[in-house]
Amino acid sequence: MNARVTSVLALALVASALFLVNAQYQARRLFIELERAQAQKRQLEIEWEQLRVEQSRLGQPGRIETNAKRDLNMAAVTPARTQYLTLGAK
Amino acid sequence: MKRLASMSSGQRVAAAKGMPFSNSPVLTAKLSTGRSRFVLFVMFAALLALAGRAIWLQGLSKDFLQKQGESRYVRTLELPATRGKIMDRNGHVLASSLPVKAVWAIPEDVKDAPEAKLLELAKLLGMSKRELDKKLDSDKGFVYLKRQVENDVADAVVKLGIDGIQTRKEYKRYYPEGAAMAHVVGFTNVEDVGQESMELAHQKTLAGVAGNRRVIKDRLGHIVEDVRAIREPQDGKDLTLSLDSKIQHIAFTQLKEAMDAHKAKAAGIVVLDIKTGEVLALANLPTYNPNDRGALTGAQLRNRVLTDTFEPGSVMKPFTVALALERGFVKPETHIQTAPGKMTIGTATIGDSHAHGVLTVEQVIEKSSNIGTAKMALQMQPQEMWEMFTSVGFGQQPKIGFPGAVAGRVRPYASWRPIEQATMSYGHGISASLLQVAQSYMIFARNGDTVPLSFQKTSAKPIGQRVISEKTARAMRKMMEMAAGPGGTAPKAQVPGYRVAGKTGTAHKLAGGKYVNKYIASFVGFAPVSEPRLIIAVMVDEPSNGKHFGGDVAAPIFATVTANALRALNVAPDTTKTNIVIPAQGLKESI
Repeated sequence: MNARVTSVLALALVASALFLVNAQYQARRLFIELERAQAQKRQLEIEWEQLRVEQSRLGQPGRIETNAKRDLNMAAVTPARTQYLTLGAK
Repeated sequence: MKRLASMSSGQRVAAAKGMPFSNSPVLTAKLSTGRSRFVLFVMFAALLALAGRAIWLQGLSKDFLQKQGESRYVRTLELPATRGKIMDRNGHVLASSLPVKAVWAIPEDVKDAPEAKLLELAKLLGMSKRELDKKLDSDKGFVYLKRQVENDVADAVVKLGIDGIQTRKEYKRYYPEGAAMAHVVGFTNVEDVGQESMELAHQKTLAGVAGNRRVIKDRLGHIVEDVRAIREPQDGKDLTLSLDSKIQHIAFTQLKEAMDAHKAKAAGIVVLDIKTGEVLALANLPTYNPNDRGALTGAQLRNRVLTDTFEPGSVMKPFTVALALERGFVKPETHIQTAPGKMTIGTATIGDSHAHGVLTVEQVIEKSSNIGTAKMALQMQPQEMWEMFTSVGFGQQPKIGFPGAVAGRVRPYASWRPIEQATMSYGHGISASLLQVAQSYMIFARNGDTVPLSFQKTSAKPIGQRVISEKTARAMRKMMEMAAGPGGTAPKAQVPGYRVAGKTGTAHKLAGGKYVNKYIASFVGFAPVSEPRLIIAVMVDEPSNGKHFGGDVAAPIFATVTANALRALNVAPDTTKTNIVIPAQGLKESI
């Protein structure tokens, strides 16, 4: 009787110890995964910043103006060649 | 000894046969008490030594040992804070910090590196082999080889695999707008600390606070767990400026063209939003590229609009006339005799460039008559004039939070002599920065009140401070529209489609306390007159291509900037004559 209780408890102890080892292992594995995801997030944030700077650089009014003049043959609008329409006028 | 040895050999067999230990004859052997005590003492001493050692390790040097242990697997990681971005009013990025690498070396360890690899390293870092050797020839344990290296270059350096060459993460500030915005945005140094302009003024809020975390790392360098709660870094706050990069571009390019055309030494322009007091554009020439500050000179760094003062000259006349109207000395149509174009006050003589004869007060502004203005000024108390100048901001430090903005100079009225009072009425003997001149015109462009300026985008309506009555402001607007019209001093300030008003200024420069034949041409104006939106002030320093009058040099810049800026802001034209503007030139379009 006594020996049976002891052996059951011993088995339970071994099992619990194994579960503990497994849990600890899982925790560390998940933690590393979390770390990796966070590093990726930071990397993506940096890329986002880089893209915003790039967008700003490409969107410089000066650059757009020269490109429009050179590549698209556009000219700046002046009031001299603008027709203004007044709403409701005859 | 002999007895003992023979006895033990005789007893060994018996002991194996199960004789109880207490009967062992060894115990009965008589030993000298001195020897047994000595052994006992030695054993006890050994026990004490062990206990002492245990107390020493467990108790006294516990902290030290734990620290030593931790230092072998616990690491503190620095979590750097990113410096805040600077943006224009439309969210266009003007300055942003991006991570780059610093390449550093432990010179001692690099000594054995193969020459070929070092040569390759020098090439990657964009320096000669001799420069690299010079840097490596050092007793220090740590030398920067190059800072702010782009990530791909740094990766290539790491790939070379030279012992003792390492990289470290740091930030580099990028300015996508470059030279056009340089004077307002400023720049940071290699440590990402603000050095000039807004970068300097808002260093505290832009910088942010670095955080850190303590972690346990395993043998492979993976982070295994956090030892304590992470101290999150607090990133710097973004700063939204009042500038509009479209208008800034317009102002900058027009100023540049004009400066080249007039072979000027320097030039400045500032555009203000009348309703909110925001600075929409501010440009100076010469300027610099904040991304490449290799050969920076003081002249390039100078933010002339804010830090250089000059005698405003005729742009001051409207204030004298406005004060005369306020005090009721004159009405806009009162006649003033300005013939013969010369006037002697005390020992000095002042004069107009042309003798105009009898002028109305309106025409005094239109034709910019010194005599007419001086005659009005001489009816006033110096204190009144001083108060007028001071209340619109002359001689006062502008409260705009911009490093280096100057106050200019208006001398205390108690020391004014009549001749000085007369010359000050048309802007001589006073100094002001271009920004102050622009701000002072708020009272005319708004209905008689002035508002504080702002370099940051604001949504709240500013609280105005009344200086002159609405009626006077209207009368002055009319006069200044005449000055910027066909009969005035600045017909070149006219803009097709919009009514504009303004005043020219041309002042001799002072050199060694004397006036010399070098000029500062200026123009301050606002548009559209029916409902003013923008104040634009232009200053050109030493135009030396034949023309030097404000009406010839500065007014055309005002006109083009006004036309383009109002179009960019979608302001409807307000000319009362017609809704259709006939083309001045034939259309030249390729379709």
